[in-house]
Amino acid sequence: MLNRRNLFAATAAASVVGSTMTGRTAEARLPKNDIEPRGTNGRLERLPRLDLESQEDFLTGFRTFVNTDLTVAATKRAFKILRANGFTPRDDVPLKQALELLADDPIIGTRFRTWTSTQQMMWQNLMDEFHGNAEAYLAEMEAADNSGPGTLELNPDMDIPKYAKYEIHVQPGGYVGDPFAGHVYHYGTNNFYTDTNHQDEMHISMANAVPRPPSDGKVRRILDLGCGVGQLTVALKERFPEAEVWGIDVGGPMVRFSHMRAVDLGVDVNFAQRLAEDTRFPDGHFDIVTSYILHHEIPEETSKQVTKEAFRVLRPGGVFYPIDFYTGLFPEDKSPWGKVRWWWTHRWNQEVWYQEYARFDFPAAMGAVGFEVNEKGPPAWARVSGVDDTDIKQNDMGNGSRRRYGRNLLGVKPI
Amino acid sequence: MADHEYDRPTYTSDFIKSDTDKAVFLGNVVIDNMMTAMIALGAEVWSNRRRMKVLESLLEEKGVTNEMVEAYMPSEEQSAEWMADRDAFVKRTFGVLAREGDLKMSSDWQDSGS
Repeated sequence: MLNRRNLFAATAAASVVGSTMTGRTAEARLPKNDIEPRGTNGRLERLPRLDLESQEDFLTGFRTFVNTDLTVAATKRAFKILRANGFTPRDDVPLKQALELLADDPIIGTRFRTWTSTQQMMWQNLMDEFHGNAEAYLAEMEAADNSGPGTLELNPDMDIPKYAKYEIHVQPGGYVGDPFAGHVYHYGTNNFYTDTNHQDEMHISMANAVPRPPSDGKVRRILDLGCGVGQLTVALKERFPEAEVWGIDVGGPMVRFSHMRAVDLGVDVNFAQRLAEDTRFPDGHFDIVTSYILHHEIPEETSKQVTKEAFRVLRPGGVFYPIDFYTGLFPEDKSPWGKVRWWWTHRWNQEVWYQEYARFDFPAAMGAVGFEVNEKGPPAWARVSGVDDTDIKQNDMGNGSRRRYGRNLLGVKPI
Repeated sequence: MADHEYDRPTYTSDFIKSDTDKAVFLGNVVIDNMMTAMIALGAEVWSNRRRMKVLESLLEEKGVTNEMVEAYMPSEEQSAEWMADRDAFVKRTFGVLAREGDLKMSSDWQDSGS
């Protein structure tokens, strides 16, 4: 592997190749300007500095502490306050009243402050690293843009819809506004998964759960909508090596990183910067259309458009398998503490469409466009990171977070 | 637009900035900030400890064992130096705990009694 000291020599070689982006097929492999000063841990390129890795490691541990000890403490406090005001933890208290009762409590505030600050610090450490060495990382991506296997299509003039411009999870710049959105998202979500997904274990598990078309089992083409950094996309290609696999995302930096990572892993996947509601693929083109945690990050109206588009691009007998939180089976948490937590996630963690999604009748939307809907499709979440007995207890106390990882909807396009 | 501008293409677009960095969850922005600083300090402490683990592992390979580290006896000169450093660290970090004060910002000269 070339290290940063050899970067400029390789960059000069890479620049000889043509620079057009749209719809290019793979060129001969170029020398990689691969930045890996600390090597790899399996599929994961280690963060480039020991101190950075250690700080992110601390924040991962601290996140777990917040999600367990501090959340239990805040939950107990919330129940005490509710009971002191004549409510039970399961009463359907209006959100405004629940906030008035609970939002100013310092124990509850501690839980939300520590969660927020941990998240923000995690992002900022990564941003500082990649922007602090921007020239090298941008050069690395440029060299990968021109490399195979697989293809990369970028559309810098694409009209980015407003819904995609929010800083979801308070990630600086969101998915579209920062050149290192893919880098930051990849290492940042390792923090979310609390060390359980360094080798894409969850994504591989989900790829293995994706059902084949039931009529004939044939899988020639797969589409992963809102592919993020391409972990599920790569895992799908690894499961179906003969298939042509596509991953699309609205974020140019996201698909760019996806492609670079796939090149590093030697997996032949096609990535394109396109909209899930307007994929530009022909009718009946795919055997499987799937996605992972896309729908709770887009408005309901867009989810309906995406569902309609999925139907269009699937061949008769093809399957639509959107993997997301509670795809239709989860009852809305009406407990006051649950409402405050869901609202807080929507408002302060910038999950702008989360609450709208919680009320979205996904099965009905799938049925409306013509899918045969199975509301008890195979579960995609084999294991949920960060969930332990404490979370189950929280569920018993009216939190409900455990149940959101239930069985998945499965849509089949009639033959 | 993004805060950073580069000569190379970045394939980014404008985005909607969140206001979460203005949030106050503990009733007083100072308390929120102290909580955040405490977490940052935790990251620094853990980072040092983790580097120490790496160093100790490498040293062990070179013949400097953990038992040797545990059994190490500082010289008299080192002991005196370490104690002085310790006392300075404690005073620097925790000296403020001895501070007394009861004057609000709005209090006038005559309120101090001096």
